[in-house]
Amino acid sequence: MKFVSLIASAIHAASPSPTPIAVAGAGIFTSSLLMSLMIWVPVLMAAAIATLPNPRGRFDTLMKQIAFFTNLGLVFVLFVAYNQFQNFLPNMQYEEKVPWLPAIGAVYHLGVDGPGMVMLVLSGLIGIVSVLASLGIRERVRSYFCLLLLTQACINGAIVARDMFVLVLFWGAAMIPIALLILGWGGPRREGAAWRLVGYWGLGLAALVVAVMTLYSATGGTSFDMDVLLKSTLSPRIQLAVGVAVIVAAATRLPLFPLHGWARDVYADAPVGVAVVVASTASRLGAFLLLRVLVGAEPVAAQLLSPLVAALAALTVAYAGLAVLRATDLRQAAAYLALVPGGLTVLGLAALAPLALAGSVLSLFSGGLAAALIVGVCATLSDRAQSRSLHVLGGLAPRMPKLAWLMVLSALALLGVPLMASFLAEFMTFFGTFKNQPVGGFAVAAGLAITAIALAILLHRVLFGSPNPDAPGVSDASLGETWYLALLAGALLWVGIFPSGPKVPGTDLPLFDPGLVNTMGAGLPDLAAPYTGPTQ
Amino acid sequence: MAASGAATAARTGGFTFDPASTLPWAVPLMLVLPLGAFVLALSGVRTRRSAANMAMLGAVATLLDTLLVAWGLAKQTKPFLATYSYINLTVAFSGPVNFQGFVINVLLRVDHLTLVALLVVEICVVGALGWSRVMGRSEPAAARFYGLVSIFLFGCAGTLVSYDLAELFAFWGVTGAATYLLLAHRWGADEVSRSTRVALALPFLTDLFLLCGISVLYSRYGAQVLDSLIPVLHTTPNWTVRQLVVASILLFVGIAGRLALWPLQSWVTATAVHAPPAASAMTQASWSVLAIVVLYRVMPIFAASNVQTLRMCVYACAVAAVVAPVIALLGNEPRRAFARIGSGVAAVGAAVVIHGFGIPGSTFAVAGIACVLAAAPARTAAILAVSGISQAMRTDDMSEMGDAWRRMPASAIALLISGLVLGLSALGALTFAVQSRTWLGVALGEAVLLVSLGSLRIFLSTAIGPLRRRRAFEPDRVRDVPAASLGWPYWMALGGAVLAGASLVRGWLDYLDGNKHPAPSSGTYVLWLTVVLVGFAAAAIAYARNKDGALRASARIGALLGSLVGAGIAIVDRFVFSPVLDITGRTSEWVPAGDGELGRAAVASGRFAAALTRAPTLPLLILLAVLLAVVVGLLTPGVFR
Repeated sequence: MKFVSLIASAIHAASPSPTPIAVAGAGIFTSSLLMSLMIWVPVLMAAAIATLPNPRGRFDTLMKQIAFFTNLGLVFVLFVAYNQFQNFLPNMQYEEKVPWLPAIGAVYHLGVDGPGMVMLVLSGLIGIVSVLASLGIRERVRSYFCLLLLTQACINGAIVARDMFVLVLFWGAAMIPIALLILGWGGPRREGAAWRLVGYWGLGLAALVVAVMTLYSATGGTSFDMDVLLKSTLSPRIQLAVGVAVIVAAATRLPLFPLHGWARDVYADAPVGVAVVVASTASRLGAFLLLRVLVGAEPVAAQLLSPLVAALAALTVAYAGLAVLRATDLRQAAAYLALVPGGLTVLGLAALAPLALAGSVLSLFSGGLAAALIVGVCATLSDRAQSRSLHVLGGLAPRMPKLAWLMVLSALALLGVPLMASFLAEFMTFFGTFKNQPVGGFAVAAGLAITAIALAILLHRVLFGSPNPDAPGVSDASLGETWYLALLAGALLWVGIFPSGPKVPGTDLPLFDPGLVNTMGAGLPDLAAPYTGPTQ
Repeated sequence: MAASGAATAARTGGFTFDPASTLPWAVPLMLVLPLGAFVLALSGVRTRRSAANMAMLGAVATLLDTLLVAWGLAKQTKPFLATYSYINLTVAFSGPVNFQGFVINVLLRVDHLTLVALLVVEICVVGALGWSRVMGRSEPAAARFYGLVSIFLFGCAGTLVSYDLAELFAFWGVTGAATYLLLAHRWGADEVSRSTRVALALPFLTDLFLLCGISVLYSRYGAQVLDSLIPVLHTTPNWTVRQLVVASILLFVGIAGRLALWPLQSWVTATAVHAPPAASAMTQASWSVLAIVVLYRVMPIFAASNVQTLRMCVYACAVAAVVAPVIALLGNEPRRAFARIGSGVAAVGAAVVIHGFGIPGSTFAVAGIACVLAAAPARTAAILAVSGISQAMRTDDMSEMGDAWRRMPASAIALLISGLVLGLSALGALTFAVQSRTWLGVALGEAVLLVSLGSLRIFLSTAIGPLRRRRAFEPDRVRDVPAASLGWPYWMALGGAVLAGASLVRGWLDYLDGNKHPAPSSGTYVLWLTVVLVGFAAAAIAYARNKDGALRASARIGALLGSLVGAGIAIVDRFVFSPVLDITGRTSEWVPAGDGELGRAAVASGRFAAALTRAPTLPLLILLAVLLAVVVGLLTPGVFR
C-alpha cells in the first residue's frame, strides 16, 4: 500500500521537465517521468518475464523478444529525450524529485546533465547490444534475461541518480545480478570470477559509502541530495578523505591498476552479453563517479590528488599493454585491452583542464564502446573458433572474414584512429592534458604505443599468418553476432564522423542527431569552472 | 537579322571560362573523389578487374581535378581557402579566452606547393595502380587492396590540404592506418605478418610523438590552425623557449618517422620485400612527399624555438642522409636498398628545409621539397621496375641476378633512369642551399655521392653480368614484364627526371613558394654535378671490374651488420623487455592469487566466527578475560614487570 501511494505521489508530485524549444523530435513524446521510465520499465519487464509461465522452455524466444523490445522501446524514448535535450542549459534536465526518507534526508531525485546524457545513450545502446549478444543463451533463459534487465535498470539508476543515497543503492544493487549472471552462465572459472567481482566491487561500495557518509556528516547530516552534498564548501581535509575514498571506489569499478584483479576473470568467463555490459556501462560508472564527485565537487582534493590519478591512469594503460603481450588466452587478452580506454578517461580527469574534461566525457562513450567491442569480438571469435588458446588459434582471417574485420576495427578503435569517436576523445584529452599533466600525458602515450605493439602481435597471431592444422573447425560470425558487433562499431564511426551531428544541407539545423559532442557540453563549463584560472 | 545579332553577340561575348570559378567545388572534390571511389568499392565491387578499375578511376579523376585546380590557381598568388565546421564546443565560460572553446574546422588550403605535391602523389599512385593491375594479379583480396588504395589517396590529399593541425593529424592517421593495411595485405604468410608488426608499431609510436607535439602547442597557445598559431608564438603570455623546443622535437620525431629517416626507417625496409610491391612503392614515395611538406609548414615553429634546436635537427638529418645510403650498400636485396636510398634522399631534403629556416632571410628551404618531389616518382619507378625483375628472375638476391639488360631491356632502362634520377634529385637542393665548404655541404655531398653510387649499383647488379639464378626454372624463359605494365615505371622515371630538372631552375622554386630565389652560379651546378657523377662512376668502375666480388663483400658486411643488429635487439630483449614482461606476467598471476588468498582468509575467519557462536559461552568468556588480563598486564608497567 505504501509502495502504491509512493508511486501515486511520484506521479502527481514529480517536478516536470523544462519545456523544450521546438527542435527536431520535440513533442513526439513528453513525460515528466522519463528518467524513471529508464529505471523501472526494465524492472517491470524483468518481473513480467520472471512470472511468465515457461513450461519446458516453450516461451524462451518470447522472453528474448520481450527483453529486446523493452530495450528497443527504451532506446526510442532515449532518442527522443536526446533530441529534446537542451544543450545550453547548465542545470539538470528531466528532473524528478519526490521526498522518500525524510528522517535521513533521502530524496528520490533523478536528473541528467550533458555527461549524464552521454552515459544514458551509451547504456541504451549497450542494452540492445547485450540482448543481441545473448541470443545464444539456451539454459534458464527466463532467469538470464530477468537478471540482465535488472542489471540495466540498476546501471541506469546509478547514472541518473541525483541523491547519493539512491546512487549508493543502485551502485551496490548492480553487483548482484551481474554476479549471479556470471555464476549461472559463465565459463569454467565462473565461480572465481563472480566472487572476485563481488569482492572488488564490494570494496568499492564500502569506499563509496565511506565517502558519502563523510560528505553527509560534514554537511550537517540533513540531506543526501547531490545539490547539497556536492555544492557545499568543505575543508581541504574532508575533501581529501572523500577524494581518496572516491578514487578507491572508482578504481575498483573501472578498473584501474592495482585494483583490477576482477577484470581478467570476469571478462574472460562471463557470458558475452554480460561481458559487454560490464566492459562498457557498468565499468564506466567508476569514471562517472570520479567526474561527479571528485572533479565536480572537491576541487582542492582533485588538484592535490591529480598526480596520483594520472599515475594510476598511466600504470593501467602500460600494464594492460604489457599484460596482453604475455597473455595466452584470447579472452584474457581482450580483458586487459579493455582496461586501456579507462586509463585514458582517467587521464583526462586528472588533467583538470576544461578540454581534457570534455575529452574524458566523450571517452566515457567511446571508451565504453571500444572496450565492449574488443571484449565482444574476442569472445565471439573464441566461441566460433572453439578455442581460446593463442597457441591454437592462428590464420583465422581468410576463414572468418567478418570477425577478422571487426577485430581489426576494434583494434583501431582502441588505438584511437581517426574517423572513430575514440580519436576525438583521445585528441581532446591529450590536448588538455599537456597543460597540467605533461608527464602523465607522455606516460599514457607510451602505454598506448605498447598497446599498439601488443595489438599488432595479437592480430598477427590470431588472424594472420598460416592456419594451425591442429585447430578445431571454425565458422564465421552469425547474423546476430555480426549485428551486435557492427552496432558497436557503427556507433563509434558515427560519432567519429559526425560528432556534431549531420546537418540539413545548407543550414545549421540538425538532421536527426543534435550531436553527442554538443549534448555532452551541457553542464561541462560548470564542472570545469574551478580549474580555468583567471580570464585573460 | 536576329540570327546575325545573335552571332555578333556570341563573337563579342564569347564563351569565357574562368578556371578560378571552379575552385569552390573543385577543391573539396579532391577529397570527395577518392573517398567516393572507396565507398563504391566497399559497397559493390567484388572482382579484381572492377576493383582495379574503380581505384584507377578515382585516382585519375582526382588527378584531373587537381590539374583543374592548378589551372585555376595558376595566376593567383594567394592560396585558396575553404572552411567546413567539424566540431565547435564550449568547454568553459571563464579563464583564458583561447581555451574557452574547442573548434576543429575542416580547413582546406591550397597553394602551388600543395598542388604540385598532390600531383606527384597522384602520379605515384596512378603509376603503382597501373603496374599492379597486371603484375599484381596473384595478390589476394583484390577488392580490399584497391579499396585501401583509394582511402590511402584520400588521406594523402587531406593531409596536404590541411592547415589545421588537428585536422592534419586526423588525415595523417587515416593515411597511416591505410598504409599499415596495405603493407600487411598478404595476411596468409608468417614472414609478412611478422614484418608488418613493425609497420604498425613504429609509425604509431612516431605518430604519438606528433600528437604530443601538437598537444604541447595547443596547451600553451590554445590554437591549432597554423595561420593563427605562428604569429602568436612569441606574443602569447607565459610562452617559453623550452615549450617551443619540446614541441619542435616532438614534431620532428613524428615527421621523421613517416619520412623514414634513419633509424626510424625500419617500417619501410622490413616490409619492402614482403609487402605487395605496388603498396610498398606508393607508400614510400607518398609519405616522403607528405612528411616533407608538413615539415616545411611547421618549420616556423622550429625557427621560433632556438638555434640549437634547428642545429640539432639538421645534424640528425645529415647523419641520416649519410648512414641510410651506406646501409643501402650493405646487403643484396634491391628493394630494401632502394628504400634506404630513398630515405637518404628524403633526409637530404629535410636537412635543406631545416637549414633554410635556420638562416634568417633565406628562401631556399623549398629546394629541399623540390628534391623530394623529384625523388618520389623515381622511387616508385625504381621499386616497381626492380620488383618486375625480381619476379621474373625469381630471386631477391642481387648476387643471383644479372643479364637484365639483354633479357628485360625495358625494365632495365626504367631501372637505369630511375636510379639516375634518384642520384640527381638532390642536385638542385644542394645547388641552391648548401655551401660546399661547410660541414653540412660535406655531409650532404657525401650523402648524395653514396645515393648515386647505391642507385646505380642496383642497376648494374641486375643488368650486367650473367644470370646466376639457376635453381628450379629455365633462365631462358626470363622475359620482360607484360606490355600493359611495362610503361608505368618508365614514364614515372621520366616524370621524376622532369621534376629533377625543374628543381635546378630558379623559376620552379619561385612558383612553388611564391618567393624570389637568387640563381646560383654555374660553378656551383658543376661542382655538385661532379659529386653525383663521381658516385655514378665509382659504382660503374667497381661493378664493371668485379661485380661478383662487390656483391659478395656487400652481402658479407650486410650479414655482419644484420647479426650485430640482431645481437643488439637480443640484448635489449634480454635485459629490458623480457624482465618487464616477466614482472607483468607475474603481477597478473600474483594479483588473482593474492585476492584468492584474501578470499580464503575471509572465508576462514567467517567459519571461525560461526564456530565461535556454537561454542559454550561461559568458558569462552573466562578464556577471553584471562587473555585480556595477561595482555593488559604485559603492557602496563608495574603489573608483571
